[in-house]
Amino acid sequence: MATVYKTLTNNDTVSTRTLLHEAIPMTGSIVSGTYSDLNIKNYAHGMFQSVYDYPYLSSSANHIFDVTLGYSAKSALSSSTSTQNSKKINIYNQMAQVLMGYDATGSVQRFDEDGDILAGGTKIDSCYFMNFSRLLVKDEIKKGTFQLTLMMSGTAGGHAYPSGNRVLIHDSSASNDFRVNSPAGEYGILQAVNETAGVLGVQNVPVGLIYYQAGIVVLSGSVFLSATKGGRISATDGSAIMDTLEPTVGAARNMTQMMTGSSITGSADALRRRIYNIQFNNTTELNSTIYFCRINHNDYNYSSNPTYMSGSKIRVKNTRSDAPSSYITTVGLYSADNELLAVAKVSEPLKKDPTNELTLRVRLDY
Amino acid sequence: MAFLDNSGDIILDAVLTDTGRMRLARADGSFKIVKFALGDDEINYENYNLNHASGSSYYDLEVLQTPILEAFTNNSSLMKSKLISMSRNDLLYLPVLKWNQTLSNTASNASGSMLVAVDTSTEAAFAGGKGTNRIDGLIYGASRKSPYRIRVDQGIDAVDSGQNAIISPASALDADLVETQYMIQIDNRFGNIRSVNDSLASVSFVDDDNIASYYFSLGTDLEIVKENTSRKAGAPDQVIAGPRGTICEFQIQSSLELNTSNFLFQQLGSRLNMYKNDGKTVATVYYIDSTVRIQGATTGYSLDLPVRFIKLV
Repeated sequence: MATVYKTLTNNDTVSTRTLLHEAIPMTGSIVSGTYSDLNIKNYAHGMFQSVYDYPYLSSSANHIFDVTLGYSAKSALSSSTSTQNSKKINIYNQMAQVLMGYDATGSVQRFDEDGDILAGGTKIDSCYFMNFSRLLVKDEIKKGTFQLTLMMSGTAGGHAYPSGNRVLIHDSSASNDFRVNSPAGEYGILQAVNETAGVLGVQNVPVGLIYYQAGIVVLSGSVFLSATKGGRISATDGSAIMDTLEPTVGAARNMTQMMTGSSITGSADALRRRIYNIQFNNTTELNSTIYFCRINHNDYNYSSNPTYMSGSKIRVKNTRSDAPSSYITTVGLYSADNELLAVAKVSEPLKKDPTNELTLRVRLDY
Repeated sequence: MAFLDNSGDIILDAVLTDTGRMRLARADGSFKIVKFALGDDEINYENYNLNHASGSSYYDLEVLQTPILEAFTNNSSLMKSKLISMSRNDLLYLPVLKWNQTLSNTASNASGSMLVAVDTSTEAAFAGGKGTNRIDGLIYGASRKSPYRIRVDQGIDAVDSGQNAIISPASALDADLVETQYMIQIDNRFGNIRSVNDSLASVSFVDDDNIASYYFSLGTDLEIVKENTSRKAGAPDQVIAGPRGTICEFQIQSSLELNTSNFLFQQLGSRLNMYKNDGKTVATVYYIDSTVRIQGATTGYSLDLPVRFIKLV
């Protein structure tokens, strides 16, 4: 009996899960300079700023991350005189309710510096948020791979790229030390170390949180403040100057002044200009089904290809006793109704004759 | 699609077809892969050189050098020619499918295709011509009772240089070479399959490209699949020179959409002038050219037949 289909048994199918990682490098000059900010999209509502990898009016542009900032209503920065005060509080609360959740009374929890919510401890009450796009993050940021290098110049002109006094913010120990008490998935503690000696007074100090599945970095405002003002920068550097470029502001501003006196987009500009480099690995979770198409010695040695025959005579044989042969280029996977559901192509024809057996391993990823 | 890189290891490029994605999206359990088949669409076996001067190692040199295209996602563009499993290796001849146009009611139109008149006024305009005014290959798609049908014969069609059968048709076709089931595919927007006795066939499934697949089996669909009992060599009504297997014959019922609307004709077709059945009057008709695919479900051999749907303007 001639047949063209071969049934796949339970032993011919297996499901697997694979984690795939890609390195995502972002040079600081891309986010603040290369395209003269044509790749920066600001909105009329002024709640956040979007960063693209190319001028965003081009169809080639990809959204890479958003920047916004906010502070808690309990922060000392909160004041009716602060610029966009309610929007900054709203942003903080929105991010906190998604990333930190609620306490037993139903109140939104504030960001906790060490993730130990029950113990209380230091709260992050004023912070930047960097929301990375799913295009980059895919399923999640790989733990222990995030690195953000900031330029912490103490001078007003220090925003030029590159500049010295760099601080590396990373989650180096997160691969085996992360928190799971967030409604948004796993998160790690970001720590700062000197990349340029002397910028930070103390090394490995917590300066933020990174939410791996959400793809969001919460960067504490303390990283831009001198130790004398409750921040992390050593006294010798004073307060880091955040920016001088905001058009409405004549003088250089430090972090506290930015938080209270600048708009969200102005403050986002300031952060972008302090970014020297961002790097992380993303993770894609591949769920695969592997079909083992087992081709025995007496399977598929003939073809229904119209060129296989001349008249009805098989071209690849001279006599009846010659072995038949065929050449495999395609594997079709079918439903019970013979509907072609998936197809696989081999990169070169595979010769099939009665002297060989093959197992073609077709993997479908979902 | 580009060619696959064949400079290194053999790689397998796998994708879901559009039908596969549609089934998956339905989330009704209809995406279930239960079997596989192998194809050799790109291979031209005419490049297999049994007389290569350098010996048998070189017979398939050109075949093995064939570059392979990346997988298409259109399910109807792939697996056109399937590989066949046979329990024996001593076959020198394989059966084929051939369009039988030798009978007066199976002959195609002068255009080379079968015509399907999609409404009764078109039938009335072109059917019933006598002598030289007769329009061959005109299937009545609307009113039925059509004298014309499509007939495909199966068997071993091997002839020598004198056009004589190498294997006598008096010999029975080996049982494992007899095609017992046919799959017929037609664009569901244009028509449906019906038997020569005007019974409308049940469609097995319609894919995302509107291609409807019908299955007909010997012994079950008696009006469509029949055993070819002719054993006479050189019989004028036969197109298979050697041992004969089965016959698949059917008609086409035009779709309601073609019957009642000109939309598809205007979108997918064109116009032409045809002589009516009086042989004098010229009428303008809309037409859509399509194909009907007949494939042996057992032996995998397939045949694409041209079909032209016509409608009076």
